[in-house]
Amino acid sequence: MERRVFLRNASVLAGSFALAACGGGGSGTVAAPQPSTPTPVPTPTPTPTPSPPVVAKARVIVVGGGMAGATVAKYLRLWGDSIEVTLIDKAQVYTSNIMSSLVLTGQRSINSLEYSYDALRSTYGISVVNDEVVAIDPSTTEVTLALGGRLKADRIVLAPGIDFDAVPGLADTNVMPHAWKAGPQTTLLAQQLSAMPAGGTVVLTIPPAPYRCPPGPYERACLVADWLRLNKPGSKLLIFDANPQIIVEKDNFERAFSQLYGSIIEYYPNVMINSVDQASRTLNTSGGAVRADVINLIPRQKAPLLVSKTGLINDAAGRFASVNLLDYSSTLAPSVHVIGDSSSTTQPKAGHIANQEAKICADAIIRSLGGLAPDPAPITTSACFSTITMSQASWLHAMFEYDATSQAMQLIPASFAASSGWSSNDFKDMNTWFNSLMADTFA
Amino acid sequence: MRDWKRLAPYVATAAIIGSAALLALSAPSNAESTATIPPPGRLLASNCFQCHSVSGTTSGFDNIKGKSSSEIYKEMIDFKSGKEGNGLMGRHAMGYTDAQIRLIADYLATLR
Repeated sequence: MERRVFLRNASVLAGSFALAACGGGGSGTVAAPQPSTPTPVPTPTPTPTPSPPVVAKARVIVVGGGMAGATVAKYLRLWGDSIEVTLIDKAQVYTSNIMSSLVLTGQRSINSLEYSYDALRSTYGISVVNDEVVAIDPSTTEVTLALGGRLKADRIVLAPGIDFDAVPGLADTNVMPHAWKAGPQTTLLAQQLSAMPAGGTVVLTIPPAPYRCPPGPYERACLVADWLRLNKPGSKLLIFDANPQIIVEKDNFERAFSQLYGSIIEYYPNVMINSVDQASRTLNTSGGAVRADVINLIPRQKAPLLVSKTGLINDAAGRFASVNLLDYSSTLAPSVHVIGDSSSTTQPKAGHIANQEAKICADAIIRSLGGLAPDPAPITTSACFSTITMSQASWLHAMFEYDATSQAMQLIPASFAASSGWSSNDFKDMNTWFNSLMADTFA
Repeated sequence: MRDWKRLAPYVATAAIIGSAALLALSAPSNAESTATIPPPGRLLASNCFQCHSVSGTTSGFDNIKGKSSSEIYKEMIDFKSGKEGNGLMGRHAMGYTDAQIRLIADYLATLR
């Protein structure tokens, strides 16, 4: 990678951008006022077997209403009817990260990615509280809410998603939006891209792994490049990847970068973002200083402050919470479970697999409350589609199984593959997959 | 930006207590463990629901409800063997053992 290349391509202008793949995490968006919804009568619905509501035998508090949190809440009620479940999120609706890069290209609206908690309330009898948890006491299983008040339960499940490292010099993240939590920044990045002049420069930065949705930045790059080709002729998209190479689905992305977008995308591995200069829209990287019209800066990620305040961050990197893979209980606090992107596991951080982690956690809690041991051989699935163009997609699939020796989830080699190339049929399947996954999570 | 905080008393649950009060959300202590053992295959089969949702009105790929165990088993084995091609579903079936596929098929056959 050469600094000269950076400088050559990086003149300054202002522009905009887009992305579409993995989900994950409780909402990170600003909470909206909560018009109190009439509290529906808990009416558990029976997919497998209808069970009438009974006196609660136990109570579980779920913190975070994203892919993991919504799923665990739903399945605790679906499979364990006598458990009272309270789901707490500061947002009234969940905005899906999956498919959100399509907002950048104008192919989806941000509203079309919003999922309400109505079915969780009315169909499953979950109490949804729009508030923010500011403290957790693992020893008493109590949570403190921002609005004042505390809740106590038998178990707490944390599913708060991710947070970002601060970037030196970036006081206002809207200047270089991450758009990695779908919401206002997604819309903002789309606006920046569309305001950018033809022949301009866009930079997309990829943080060191692990981060949410491994293929996500690469698919966003493809999608934006396709959009630039059509809408901003002559523009460049520079990818600054902190990782030594494309970390997932390398064959497809490498081929797309060179064969489809050879005149648009320039991919640079091993580039760290040291600091930025907001005023001049400049990135100070390990490869030199680069100015660009639009900068989609995706910072390094970690579990949110709440998880660290609770004292549960104990992985080697000091960023995520280690858990027992049979029930997702924290290795430091047996009554507190951590699922989804905040946990440290061998599995990818993504919405699809978070949904399955949540089911394992729900099943284990139900068993545990009844004095039973967890399922000794859980399996999770990570499947996703990546947009390679604005109308074609690829797929990626992997399964993981619990290995008692390492006490870790191990990749099942026979399950691991990506599509050979991409197609419009897979783009269609992507929508089917997405709708089903969201129904399994929110409906 | 933080105006929403004033709209406090949402309903949601009996769980919220006014400021500083501690709501005893704790369950009745006599939670007798009448726990029934979950149906075998249920947790495994819940992997299916991600792409073949059995909730709400939105459907995913092929409907997996209302089929017999032997029907589902045969289809899964066809995928596992590669007979159905090299697609995503084939890879998914290849991730399971024969015994796991039986468990899944038996459970799915109970869904109505």
